[in-house]
Amino acid sequence: MSLIGELRARLGEDRVLDEAVELYLYSKDASLTRGQPTCVVFPGTTEEVADVVRLAEAHHVPIVPRGAGTGLTAGATPIQGGIVLSTTSMNQIEIDPENRTAWVGAGVINLDLTRAAEPYGLHFAPDPSSQSACTIGGNVANNSGGAHCLAEGATTSHVLGLEVVLAGGAVLVLGGSAPDMPGLDLKGLIVGSEGTLGVVTRALVRLLPIEADVRTLLLDFTNLSGATKTVSDVIASGLVPAALEIMDQNMMTAVETWLHCGLPTESAAGLLAEVVGTAEAVEAEAAIIDRIGRENGACQVQIARDQDHRDLLWKGRKSAFGAVAQVSPDYYLHDTVVPRSKLVETMEEVQAIADRHGLAVYNVLHAGDGNLHPLMAFDSSEPGMVEKVLRAGEEMVAACMRRGGALSGEHGIGVEKREMMRTGFSEIDLDAQARLKEVFDPEGIFNPAKVLPEGSRCFDFGGVRRQIPHGAWV
Amino acid sequence: MTEAVTAGAEQVAPADIDSLAAILRRATKERKVVQVVGGGTRQGYGAPSPPDLVLSMSGLTGIEEWDPDDLTVTVRSGTPVAELEETLATRSQTAVMPEIPGASTVGGVVAAGVSSLRRGRLLGTRERILEVTLVTGDGRIVRAGGRVVKNVSGFDLPRLAVGAFGSLGVIVGICLKLWSTPQASATVTVDDLAFADRVVRPLAVLEHDGVKRVFLWGTEEEVDATSSRLDGHVVAGLDWPPDPTGSFRWSLRVPPALTREAIARVPAEWSYLAIHRVGEIRASSPAIDGAESLRSWAEERGGALVVVDAPSGGLSGLDPWGSPPPGLDLQRRLIAQFDPGRVINPGRLPGGI
Repeated sequence: MSLIGELRARLGEDRVLDEAVELYLYSKDASLTRGQPTCVVFPGTTEEVADVVRLAEAHHVPIVPRGAGTGLTAGATPIQGGIVLSTTSMNQIEIDPENRTAWVGAGVINLDLTRAAEPYGLHFAPDPSSQSACTIGGNVANNSGGAHCLAEGATTSHVLGLEVVLAGGAVLVLGGSAPDMPGLDLKGLIVGSEGTLGVVTRALVRLLPIEADVRTLLLDFTNLSGATKTVSDVIASGLVPAALEIMDQNMMTAVETWLHCGLPTESAAGLLAEVVGTAEAVEAEAAIIDRIGRENGACQVQIARDQDHRDLLWKGRKSAFGAVAQVSPDYYLHDTVVPRSKLVETMEEVQAIADRHGLAVYNVLHAGDGNLHPLMAFDSSEPGMVEKVLRAGEEMVAACMRRGGALSGEHGIGVEKREMMRTGFSEIDLDAQARLKEVFDPEGIFNPAKVLPEGSRCFDFGGVRRQIPHGAWV
Repeated sequence: MTEAVTAGAEQVAPADIDSLAAILRRATKERKVVQVVGGGTRQGYGAPSPPDLVLSMSGLTGIEEWDPDDLTVTVRSGTPVAELEETLATRSQTAVMPEIPGASTVGGVVAAGVSSLRRGRLLGTRERILEVTLVTGDGRIVRAGGRVVKNVSGFDLPRLAVGAFGSLGVIVGICLKLWSTPQASATVTVDDLAFADRVVRPLAVLEHDGVKRVFLWGTEEEVDATSSRLDGHVVAGLDWPPDPTGSFRWSLRVPPALTREAIARVPAEWSYLAIHRVGEIRASSPAIDGAESLRSWAEERGGALVVVDAPSGGLSGLDPWGSPPPGLDLQRRLIAQFDPGRVINPGRLPGGI
């Protein structure tokens, strides 16, 4: 029987798509890269995923796991064809309020989890800007962050256990709610592996209590360095706020034109700071941030009056990418990290690169983490424009790497930054990573040609890999 | 236990990474068992094979890079925890390492996967490691992660190295995420934890042989307000209790909500230090009695009872780790890629790996 016939026999007619228009819809994620899937499947249970894995292996076709497709590095793009495995039907949530944990299906939307936890006074801390669309499975794959991971850590710090389908269709449940389970932390290795080691079907996540009180401040500055200096000084004062986010003037203008959140568009930079805790804590900490901000030239400090005002300010921040989409046909952004002390000089160079290429750049930064998201707006119908944008993007990444930065803070490597991995790691480092991949996925079927550059496995070529067609995974 | 197994073994203390790599390469070639020693405070785990070679990390010490603005520090693994924390404290920062470290080194804490008592609030060592440099059994120098607080580039080998007891390679360099130490702190001894439970996210809630203490830090306003609400005996500063000591030392790990029940199940003659809200209970005992039933109870509930140290031959058949963890074959195959001759600390890990 054909692969598609076997998949239909196992999953049912309606859970296997192969019409041209359907395949087109699943041929890319939110990045610029397009692939061509053989089919798209929607398994509803872990056992069904295991069967899909076994069928993929039998037919020697890749499996590309996909959550909501909000990824920006082509991690969910089937660049070598194969089965796109959509996790969206695996959407159960089981909350354990006593242990403050939840077992969550990979297809559960991030914000739906937090909403389900709210009646218990709990929430899920990682909050990517795409949280109303992105899935927990995608968060696990990319070790996603968000504005509030400054104090709480990224997804990996909130994943206590995983149920994962590995090569051969083997199902393993790793970790648990007890701390430090004996043995190697395989679960921690799978978080952030971008679907290249297996298919995550469920995650046991940590939930945090909703804080008693919260204070959100918006400080505006006549220059970017005042804002970044404030971030450094706040942290040096002994505070680790829940969030420290910067938007530049271009970005604030784009957002304001669209959403009217009350952002200070006449200022060079806005710093959104949030503190949480007891009433006494937030009051005292907000006062410290206010004082430090003014010492660094903040011309105005707004404090959110109520929850509605707070929601509006956060909506402004989290809609940044959407706002640029309103003013330009296309945009492309990078996600890199620099040591926070290098933030100002890096931002200056990013601007210089954009100027040199004649591109408009809009900036939002998870400033407390030194995490940049320079976003270039352009029109892809202009000849040569996409190439120019990609080149500028590469230069921006290189500028960060020269300053001891990282290739990605929270979006992952995917296809986009695969080759750039060589700028951050030696051949031996990459070979070690490729060996990990090989142990989990000897047949090379899980999301091939992602994360590691081609030819990473430089030593001890094993016999089994020679059967794999060129380019599949080496 | 440490002294017994190391007697007669060759002692080496390489002064740089390249010499260390040469030593390991030779050990792999000659199939020599290598025991890695930092401060020597955590040599009681597992069932290690007797070493031919004792590799001291005392030649690889010191802070390599620290810019307080970045909230990260990169150290050589033999650096004593006490020395690192003392330096960081000069700029009101902490690496959130164990509070009473003794002779422990940063590398030893990472390799053994030990965490701070503050882990309920500031997370454990696994969440705080950003970059690692390892020397594999066959002498490759492998670096993974990065010196920034947020990073998704490749597989999270730094995290995997925590608690791996050197099985992926001898850890030589570590970058850790730091935390700013706030201006005020207090320790409140309370009679009853029911009220303390309502304090949202204290620094730690500990119970040491029945003595219950809530640890607070933050701005003065916050610490004052919370300590007065707690209705207990307040002292300024953080008065950390030491780990229990005794012939046998244990680590009981249970889902957080079972911490109280676990304390009730610890045999009366044992001493314990429990981290509430985390589910970690450090314990010691004069003898092995009661361990087996405590372990069954914990394992049935998704937990574990791990032997931290025991007198030589004192376990009388009790496995140091308990039931083997899932994915043992995968763990073995992973380790084989990093330590093909299985010469670094063999036998330390669960399943006799």
